[in-house]
Amino acid sequence: MIFDPTPLSPAEEELRAEVRAWLADVLPDDFRPGLGLGSRHDPEFTRALAQRGWVGMSIPTEYGGAGASTVRRFVVIEELLAAGAPIAAHWIAERQTAPALLRFGTEEQRRWFLPRIAAGECWFSLGMSEPDAGSDLASVRTTATPVDGGWRVTGTKVWTTNAHLNHFAVVLCRTSPQGDGDRHAGLSQLIVDLGADGVQVSPIPLIDGEEHVNEVVLDGVFVPDERVLGEVGQGWAQVTAELAHERSGPDRYLSVLGLYRAFLAVHGRDPDAVRAAAIGRIGAQLWAIRQLSLAVARSLEQGEAPAVEASLVKDVGTTFEQQVVETLRDVAGGEIDPGGPTMFDRLLAECVLNAPTWTLRGGTTEVLRGIAAKALTRSAR
Amino acid sequence: MTATLDVTEVRDAVADLLADRVTPAVLEDAEREGWAAGVWEPLHAGGFTTVGVPEAAGGAGGSVAEACAVLEAAGAASAPVPVAETGLLAGRLLAAAGIALPDGPLTTGTGEVSFDGRALSGRLARVAWARQAARIVLIADGADGADAADGADGADGSPVVAVVDPAAARITPGTNLAGEPRDAVDLDGVVPETTAPAPADAREALARRGALARAAMIAGAARRVGELTVAYTGERVQFGRPVSRFPAVADHLVRIAEQVELAAIAARSAAASARDGEPAALEVAAASAVASEAAGLVAAAAHQATGAMGVTREFALGVLTRRLWSWRDEWGGERAWSTRLGHTLAAGGPEALWPTLSRGVRG
Repeated sequence: MIFDPTPLSPAEEELRAEVRAWLADVLPDDFRPGLGLGSRHDPEFTRALAQRGWVGMSIPTEYGGAGASTVRRFVVIEELLAAGAPIAAHWIAERQTAPALLRFGTEEQRRWFLPRIAAGECWFSLGMSEPDAGSDLASVRTTATPVDGGWRVTGTKVWTTNAHLNHFAVVLCRTSPQGDGDRHAGLSQLIVDLGADGVQVSPIPLIDGEEHVNEVVLDGVFVPDERVLGEVGQGWAQVTAELAHERSGPDRYLSVLGLYRAFLAVHGRDPDAVRAAAIGRIGAQLWAIRQLSLAVARSLEQGEAPAVEASLVKDVGTTFEQQVVETLRDVAGGEIDPGGPTMFDRLLAECVLNAPTWTLRGGTTEVLRGIAAKALTRSAR
Repeated sequence: MTATLDVTEVRDAVADLLADRVTPAVLEDAEREGWAAGVWEPLHAGGFTTVGVPEAAGGAGGSVAEACAVLEAAGAASAPVPVAETGLLAGRLLAAAGIALPDGPLTTGTGEVSFDGRALSGRLARVAWARQAARIVLIADGADGADAADGADGADGSPVVAVVDPAAARITPGTNLAGEPRDAVDLDGVVPETTAPAPADAREALARRGALARAAMIAGAARRVGELTVAYTGERVQFGRPVSRFPAVADHLVRIAEQVELAAIAARSAAASARDGEPAALEVAAASAVASEAAGLVAAAAHQATGAMGVTREFALGVLTRRLWSWRDEWGGERAWSTRLGHTLAAGGPEALWPTLSRGVRG
């Protein structure tokens, strides 16, 4: 395991102060914080952030990014998530697609996509899950058939966040039939233009009444060869490589910071022993989990791929987030009132309805623990 | 050389030194007799018992992080000797009061003790290895007014640090769940060998170092519990395969690993927060809350995963889990430290919450 206390350099701390001050300036006083990844899709905010150079920070300068380190990006996204800033427009493009393009993309793809991502003008969704392929991604049925100059893609993707607003989706699909051997062979990643002919996006309303996840039906959608991401047939290896980047970041423990802060604002004055213990336990856990996440970021920065550590951090972080909601509900007392007078009332209602997704998205708890357990028992042998 | 490298080297050196010395037989003897000379002597001779105490005061020098690295290794090995007490606790208390370190194992504890300028009276509860310590170091309230001896330390009512020969005190043996001595020390008119004015906040600082020491020991012991549990569940075959292959058992292994890493990074971060040899209040409170909670979770999951074998005296697990169940409450426990931290965070208000929690570990 790579977990050791990770000091931030003075320059990294300065960056934190700069982002924090900027956010205090641009977000209104009565701002309702978003729940981490579930925050609003706000193109204007994304563009303003991009103008500061804080979108796609780790993209090299030759492709329009800031060429910043993993940890500098960590510092910035931590501040954004802590504030509950509306980051949904650029989130996937900057967290997932940009690193994938840098790693697997062609020079032409990098030159076209990366400057647009860094400018906050090009937004991505993930096209992984399907009606019959959730945790078991190798069973995806969406198929790409070779045609002159490219591929025809047919199939259905689900839980595609903000597909109705974003420009592209990276779609995991089968480019050769599943044989008897390796189930993971024959998968590829294609960049699908969500505005192309044959793409039909319809909302899947969730239990909180929101409609930001979608079903995306692809009916013979043409994808030119130059929009294949990486190698045909290597989709599985590429998706797996993304996971260390996806899994362990601050988005796995900061979804509830707004709720925690709101609790303090309403119930934090001279708390009784029960409330004080709850406030303290949450603070202590958050402080420790954050150190784990930071250690993973530093390790990624040094070129390592701490996939197992990342899985552990995601599991610990998301489990913690759910505990926070239950703990604060319990010690606050009273009924949950979505239209209640305080920010805490309204955020608590939102958190209770959203919390179940935290241990599902990005790999369910059960899948992550399976991955981690294999590694733990393997290293013992 | 970076600080991290130093710490790792210290941890490895102590682990190597203890590897063959803390055997099941040694631990059984230690529980019966309350002492393990064969463990203490090489640790003491190697200077590992006073890491974190300045050389000028008679210690081995080194940072709090290095002292905690010693304790992590000692915890992992279940070393049945007062390493934390001699160095980070009593040793640093003496150094801060300007008293030279006596040789041999030292201990300290908390309780209501007063000093009238000549003699001590009062009681210390659950003092680690009081029976075997060369000296007991304590903080006593000075007497003021008519009771005070003129010109003596503490004559203005301020607290003093006092050094006592255990032979002069009345000691009632007690233990923790692991059979480690936790004795009551009654001081009825005992004349201390040495006194000095206690530094400001000496009690508070001692409590912090005590909690941090236990967090480091928990981190070490919990990691060893994880290793034993992974090994055992990998060997134990039921229904034709190792039980670690069953998802419900694997789940325990993962949750243990998570809590081990949380406890370790918490203890190490708090140790790294120390300046001038004193760890920071907020970091210690957080580390202690995290480590003490982890101790219980790790012990429970390990016993569930190892089944009936885990609860036998023959198996090494119980030596460690009995320590986890004891150490988590010594010097506070998770509720006490969470509550303190909660009051601090609440007093800071909502706007200071994130800036406080994201305050960096200083390198």
